[in-house]
Amino acid sequence: MSAHFDIAYVFDYFVKLLPYLRITAVIVACSLAIGLGVGLLVALPRMYRVPVLQRFSQVYVSFFRGTPILIQLFLFYYGLPEVLKSVHLDVSKVPSLYFVVFVYSLHTGAFLSEAIRGAVGAVDRGQVEAAYAVGMKGYQAFARIVLPQALGIAIPVFANLIIAVLKDTSLAFSLGTMELTGKAQTLPTISQHFFEAYLSLALIYFLICFALEKLLAALERRMLRHEARPAAETRAARGRKWLNRRFPAGLDLPKEGARS
Amino acid sequence: MIRLSQIRKSFGRNEVLKGIDLAVEKGEVVAILGPSGSGKTTLLRCINYLERPSDGEIAIGDLRVPCRHPSKQDIHRLRGKTAMVFQQYNLFKHKTALENVMEGLVVVQKVPKDEARRRSAELLEKVGLGQKLDAYPSQLSGGQQQRVGIARALALNPEVILFDEPTSALDPELVGEVLAVIRKIAKEGITMIIVTHEMGFAQDVASRVVFMDQGAIVEEGSPKELFRSPKEERTRQFLQRITPESVYSI
Repeated sequence: MSAHFDIAYVFDYFVKLLPYLRITAVIVACSLAIGLGVGLLVALPRMYRVPVLQRFSQVYVSFFRGTPILIQLFLFYYGLPEVLKSVHLDVSKVPSLYFVVFVYSLHTGAFLSEAIRGAVGAVDRGQVEAAYAVGMKGYQAFARIVLPQALGIAIPVFANLIIAVLKDTSLAFSLGTMELTGKAQTLPTISQHFFEAYLSLALIYFLICFALEKLLAALERRMLRHEARPAAETRAARGRKWLNRRFPAGLDLPKEGARS
Repeated sequence: MIRLSQIRKSFGRNEVLKGIDLAVEKGEVVAILGPSGSGKTTLLRCINYLERPSDGEIAIGDLRVPCRHPSKQDIHRLRGKTAMVFQQYNLFKHKTALENVMEGLVVVQKVPKDEARRRSAELLEKVGLGQKLDAYPSQLSGGQQQRVGIARALALNPEVILFDEPTSALDPELVGEVLAVIRKIAKEGITMIIVTHEMGFAQDVASRVVFMDQGAIVEEGSPKELFRSPKEERTRQFLQRITPESVYSI
């Protein structure tokens, strides 16, 4: 059995865990950045109905949405080196962190592509016609008119996804990556104060998620500042809206969606 | 100056334009009338290729676009010579009134930002929105949005402005302000093609009226000829059904 509860350990571990936040942050930041690129690339063939690529996109998205991320981690960690061996590429020396970022990027990309597709569809067609009529080319109309509005619309979904990915990084430990959770599991091996370690771990995750939510809500307000707000919107009303935001009616991406 | 020759357009088996010939001279204001489904909006949208004609030729100035095999560059140039005012305004919702007008100048015509801002502010002043430069479309009434749309079209300094039922989506009390603006710019000699249901306005502002029905031009002439003594039976019937309710003025 573990030792008696000692609050001092919670503080102690909290401080000791903080440096490992860096690895977690790297995984989240890299997978979001790469995932955004991947998501956009994958969304395009489906939005523009490109014959063959459209099918590939569909298969890709349903694979990454339809399998647990833990399984995806193992599949790529053990499977990819075997595949690459056949083209004489040795990746056995590559740190597991790279595999983790690789898998999380693809995973995030799948979810982001769906979010982008939905948001782009929500920008009305008339504005695209207006952009063409003004003389813009296709890519200009997309980059200057559609994308900025789509990003604003997609922010609530992005926010959920960022938080989901942050929490999912705790699974990276299963490949031996020493991030927050990994460290929290090894720190108390001598002291045996496991509960305290997990408590400080939970605290760290919660604090970051909380800060992120606030930050993203502010970003959303900024991106959608062009939308009319009722003048009498009080603080309380905004607070309620902030709660409701987690269960938006039309968005099919619940908070835990990225995990399944 | 603008010459449409044998423009045809089909949606599937349904032929909505059956070989339209229309010439518009510089400075003319042409109103296109007709019952709904007559193809007048489609014709207008063909002129800047928001709709692809299946056959015919569009010529504006020295640019000739064969509709069977237009190059991307042809379409781009065509859009550079035209501007459009939409029924649903279609303003860029994430941009202010000023930015909406500037957008085409900066992005397409590569006008320096300062100059674009100055010219855009002047145009918004002209359509009576000098106080609303920094308002987003959602903060403007329909009539104000449409006036921004008109300023956006004017900014491009096009050879022709195409109006697609510019007042149909407006509340009746807002129609007047938009028509007043159109009337004002018509006086400046800007070439315009207007699809409209406002008979009084057409009679008043157009130098020529074209009546379309079932994808073809039935009759055209001066407003006086067409409204007072239409030659064709179909025109007569149409005009009888839609008697001008009122004439808007400033």
